[in-house]
Amino acid sequence: MVSRGGILANVATYAAAVLIAAFFLVPLTWLVSLALRTPQEIFFGASRFIPENPTLDNFGQVLRDRGFLNYLWNALKLSGLGALGSVIVAAPAAYAFSRFDFRGRGVMMMAILAVQMVSGLVILIPLYRYMGWLGLLETHVGVIAIYIAIGLPITVWLLKTAFDGVPIVLEEAAAIDGYGHFETFLRITLPLASPGMASALILNMILNWSQFLVPFIMLSRDAQWPISVAIYNYAGSTTASTTHLLAAACLITILPAILAFLLLQRAIVSALTAGAIKG
Amino acid sequence: MPKPIAQALSRRTATTPEASSIPYWAWLLPVMLVIGAFYIYPIIDALRLAFTDATLTGGAESYTVRSLQRVLSNPALPTILSNTAIFTAASVVGQQLLGLSVALLVVRGERHHLPGMLVLRTIVLAAWVVPGIANGVIWSMLFSESPFGAINGVLRLLELPTVAWLSNPANAMLSAIIANVWQGTAFSMIVLYAALKSVDPSLYEAAAVDGAPAWERFWFITLPQLKAAILVNSILITIQTLNTFDAILALTGGGPGRATEVLSLFAYNTVFYQFDLAGGSALSILLLLISLVLAALYMLFMPKRDM
Repeated sequence: MVSRGGILANVATYAAAVLIAAFFLVPLTWLVSLALRTPQEIFFGASRFIPENPTLDNFGQVLRDRGFLNYLWNALKLSGLGALGSVIVAAPAAYAFSRFDFRGRGVMMMAILAVQMVSGLVILIPLYRYMGWLGLLETHVGVIAIYIAIGLPITVWLLKTAFDGVPIVLEEAAAIDGYGHFETFLRITLPLASPGMASALILNMILNWSQFLVPFIMLSRDAQWPISVAIYNYAGSTTASTTHLLAAACLITILPAILAFLLLQRAIVSALTAGAIKG
Repeated sequence: MPKPIAQALSRRTATTPEASSIPYWAWLLPVMLVIGAFYIYPIIDALRLAFTDATLTGGAESYTVRSLQRVLSNPALPTILSNTAIFTAASVVGQQLLGLSVALLVVRGERHHLPGMLVLRTIVLAAWVVPGIANGVIWSMLFSESPFGAINGVLRLLELPTVAWLSNPANAMLSAIIANVWQGTAFSMIVLYAALKSVDPSLYEAAAVDGAPAWERFWFITLPQLKAAILVNSILITIQTLNTFDAILALTGGGPGRATEVLSLFAYNTVFYQFDLAGGSALSILLLLISLVLAALYMLFMPKRDM
């Protein structure tokens, strides 16, 4: 039986939980409320929290007439290829950190983590000029290259954790069968670590989806923008009378990230937690 | 497989000569090349550029300390630095307190089998995956002083006076901090949740035998056990907060005036709006130095056994 003090404490727990949940949910529900309104209802403000004539037209207008379908596609392409690149570049190093015992291993892993703390701005200022010299300004290739570099530190750590979980006896069996070390890595370790690699990939995609500064600086042509840049420019060009469209565009921006997160919440949380405990 | 055996096996493999037919550095090469090209070289170059008169538009550049002097004697710099300090400190404290509260609630809920606490965790995390720029756009709709502004709309319904959330300088800073805490809390929550789960339960059992009240258990057991996690987390989110400005850019654009212009935004504006590459490089190096000094300061308070 729960004591009276226990019940009181449970009530207090729920009261606090509801307050905190409200703080985190209100912005998103307000966004949904605005996105579903007709232009007239925007001006009713909070009194029309639940729209009287909810409409999905705003989404169609934003996707079709304002080019957001293209921005979505650009964002998917940039964040997907960037994430894939990070995983490919990070995998061999993560494998070495997981399997080999060499001098300076711990120091190198900490150094890679420290790199993560360098502001994107510090590296972007010189990189902007290099990309210009290389002819990669205004290209998706240039943006993807920078995404790969930015995602690298966390990916090395996530993949090392994933490889740590693959039993070493399986690799030894492969070695007895005459596999070389790199072949073992490709054919045995990588497939067995695929759940961990998938969550590293998705987490990278979510982080890349949020990237704003890199594409904003690198790309000036409308047709190449990912959705983060598009929403910023769109917000600057809208007025009070088109707020319903801005809200719909904003919802379209955040929904893919939230859906990806909800689908893979367990994997993402455990990946973050593993990093948190070790870091 | 039992852990000791796994460890013994891994040690055996690690020292077997044929296991390292490819030298270890070859495995590290791709990462090292990328870090060298995209981090080390640019940082060195930013440092070099700070001592030149380079502009974004190109042209010949020569070495000088005049750019550095100009940046450091800019009359706006003290305002920018104090904005940065207020924004960062308030964000870090806010995120840690709220993150700790959520983590404690979720852990307590799990221990007492209270349903719904996982939902709370999910809601908090959902805010974390919202892109920073969208965060600024969303909060500008909440703080807006137009009819569709949510917060003033509710205040009007309650017949309370409305607040100039974004057009009053002091309020604008508060608004930017609230938006930032909304997004950043999830990270603290996850780190502190993991740390709470790893506290040895026997400590609490001993305290319960002694009849220690809840707040004493929190103050004398939980908090000291969390010290390392809180410090590491503070380093991470301090640096993260110093480095990002996309939410501020979309919410206030640094204004009104310079009321919410932080150092990273100032550096960005210097390079990409005033085309002053040298000055912007100097500011970004200053940002890097501040990050390093703060990280070192936090490390001083780290409990020795955790290092």
